[in-house]
Amino acid sequence: MSERIAIAMSGGVDSSVAAALLKQAGHTLIGVTLKLQECHDAHGSRSCCGVDGISRAREVAGKLGFPHYVLDCVKDFEAMVLLPAWQEYARGHTPSPCLLCNERVKFGLLLDWAGRLGVPRVATGHYARLEEGEAGRPALLRGRDTSKDQSYFLAGLSAAQLRRAIFPVGHLRKPEVRELAKQHGLPSAETPESQDACLVAPGESFAEMLRQRFEATARPGHIVDETGQVVGKHEGIHVFTIGQRKGLPAGATARRWVKEISPQSGQVTVTSDPGEILGAGFVAKDVNWLGDSLPAEPLACSVQVRYRSASEAATVTAQADGNLAVTLAKPVKAITSGQAAVFYDGDRVLGRGWIAAPATGSRG
Amino acid sequence: MLYADYNATTPLDPEVRAAMADALGASFGNPSSIHSAGQEARRLVERARAQVAGLIGAEPDEIIFTSGGTEADNLAVLGVASAAPSGRRGVVASAIEHRAVLDPCAHLQSRGYKVTFLGVDAQGRLDLRALPAATAPDVALFSVMLANNDTGTIQPVAEIANAATACGAWMHTDAVQAAGKLAIDVKKLGVSLLSFSSHKIHGPKGAGALYVRRSVRMAPLVRGGRQERELRPGTENVPAIVGFGKACELARARLESDTRRVAGLRDLFESQVLACVVGTRVNGRGEQDLRLPNTSNIAFAGLDGEAITINLDMLGMAVSTGAACSTADHTPSHVLVAMGQSEAEARSSVRFSFGRDTTEGEIARAIELVVQVANLLREARP
Repeated sequence: MSERIAIAMSGGVDSSVAAALLKQAGHTLIGVTLKLQECHDAHGSRSCCGVDGISRAREVAGKLGFPHYVLDCVKDFEAMVLLPAWQEYARGHTPSPCLLCNERVKFGLLLDWAGRLGVPRVATGHYARLEEGEAGRPALLRGRDTSKDQSYFLAGLSAAQLRRAIFPVGHLRKPEVRELAKQHGLPSAETPESQDACLVAPGESFAEMLRQRFEATARPGHIVDETGQVVGKHEGIHVFTIGQRKGLPAGATARRWVKEISPQSGQVTVTSDPGEILGAGFVAKDVNWLGDSLPAEPLACSVQVRYRSASEAATVTAQADGNLAVTLAKPVKAITSGQAAVFYDGDRVLGRGWIAAPATGSRG
Repeated sequence: MLYADYNATTPLDPEVRAAMADALGASFGNPSSIHSAGQEARRLVERARAQVAGLIGAEPDEIIFTSGGTEADNLAVLGVASAAPSGRRGVVASAIEHRAVLDPCAHLQSRGYKVTFLGVDAQGRLDLRALPAATAPDVALFSVMLANNDTGTIQPVAEIANAATACGAWMHTDAVQAAGKLAIDVKKLGVSLLSFSSHKIHGPKGAGALYVRRSVRMAPLVRGGRQERELRPGTENVPAIVGFGKACELARARLESDTRRVAGLRDLFESQVLACVVGTRVNGRGEQDLRLPNTSNIAFAGLDGEAITINLDMLGMAVSTGAACSTADHTPSHVLVAMGQSEAEARSSVRFSFGRDTTEGEIARAIELVVQVANLLREARP
């Protein structure tokens, strides 16, 4: 049946092909590109400032024969995604802004905007699948192309948001998407899939870009080794992340990893023992659970602690405060506060929480 | 497409297109050249200048061709302010001017000029009671538009021009929206400067004019040639100027019949929408109804103007809201806000503007579509 669908278009190959598939299926499309940054803030990153994306999306909409609009989200994007991301860095954490963007902007502001237009559903070019799950609840599944899977970024969406979402390329593999683009005569340009590509020019630090934007003071301090000996100084904790190897002063051994970041003292602790950055578990807070309610019994599932990492066997236990206690079957490297933990049952997303209080340094 | 956005731009008149074809072909000379090709191009430009002057009751040598209305407004505001004597560092404008006037005023403000913005009443007419306070001997320029682009409300420009003259200031009016829709006589209005644009009157884009009364002292914004009394140097855009000239000639000849016909269609549309859609109200009409004959700005209580605009677009009808699609700003029309409306009221408004090619059939269809979309959005409302 023909539906009115708003298609979020970045101008890249995935959302362009998503639009072509929906159009082919006979739906009435409303193309929309989110403007997330002012051009003068983009520092040479042509991606999200939009000029490139907007004109390419408009070209595609014209080619496929549907109208295209630009939704200016600059101010809300800053308040809903960038500022919370900076606040995480300032606390010595590493944020996952792409999840916030999906939860609050693409399936927040854009969904609301479409609703005001009387358009019930929003489609995107994400590599994830939606199926009908138990009791008519939507089931969010990994994209068929596991190397492109973006279910991690979408795992914070509620059932209500997922019911209104459509992911037309989720059942396709990237080469098939490219082939379809060719067949429809659409541009095959890549669009960024991660914060670094989306928001900053190559070689720039996302965290440093945020610090400058919010005119925040960096928290400088010492870099110490596991014995507490000072091995160097740094200009700000925000440029470090747990498990980081690059940009650290060389020690007696060639390899060092960031083990701990203290926002109070500004101290960054490094270790030359890779075992020190392994974690056996953590607490996941602000949980979005796609089931009826949090599991009543400890649940065996798998968990992914960052985008593009392997999923690990784990047991999750709901706590009285609504948080989840996560115990890993075997220790995992660099579990990082502020990142999203996404829980899976096979390919199906069970939910997402934010990593807090990881138990690092324990060898399991 | 059902085009109901004539205040944004208008289609090229076929007669204008035909007039331009010549200038785009054989008559390619540079009007400043001394040879025959140049002379022919010069003849085209000067013929156009007379046609353009004719639309507003000016003398041809009082017409300065520009790239359009925005440039003409900039030249008027910045050009007069920068040439004003040191004792005159004040500018008075209305709060409902187009950005082409507001932004140059803000620029002057940042350079130390005193800029006063005059408010409007609920109908969108400049409040003349505020005029005496703004009339000071240090004012260099008054700038008040002849008719507002959003609501079509006509402003008391002649009265303001009197006040400006009395305090020794120049009077500029932005007539971009009024030209071709109202009979204009610069002498009767008493203005010293008046800007208007080609593409709003079925001419090509890229041409406009500033009427500059002979006595006005002003400075150019760009330098580099003798063209246009050195107020706007650069080789003339001959084809666009020729088209502009023809468009002015047509607008003048057709003014009375066009406006009478369009006013009838607009009134029909307005009365039907008001009767068929609950919660509708016309912005800027007031009791006197001093509006352009083609413009209808309608508030749809409880609905979103942008949502109406996009839904109408999807059904093949082109209309406009003052605001751009934005999630955070929700910046509604500064004109409606200046009229005392709440942001929510202002955001519920849509501007319909009709023109020379609008037909009765289109009006009937437009009414149907507007009713359909309003009903759809009322049902969709969460």
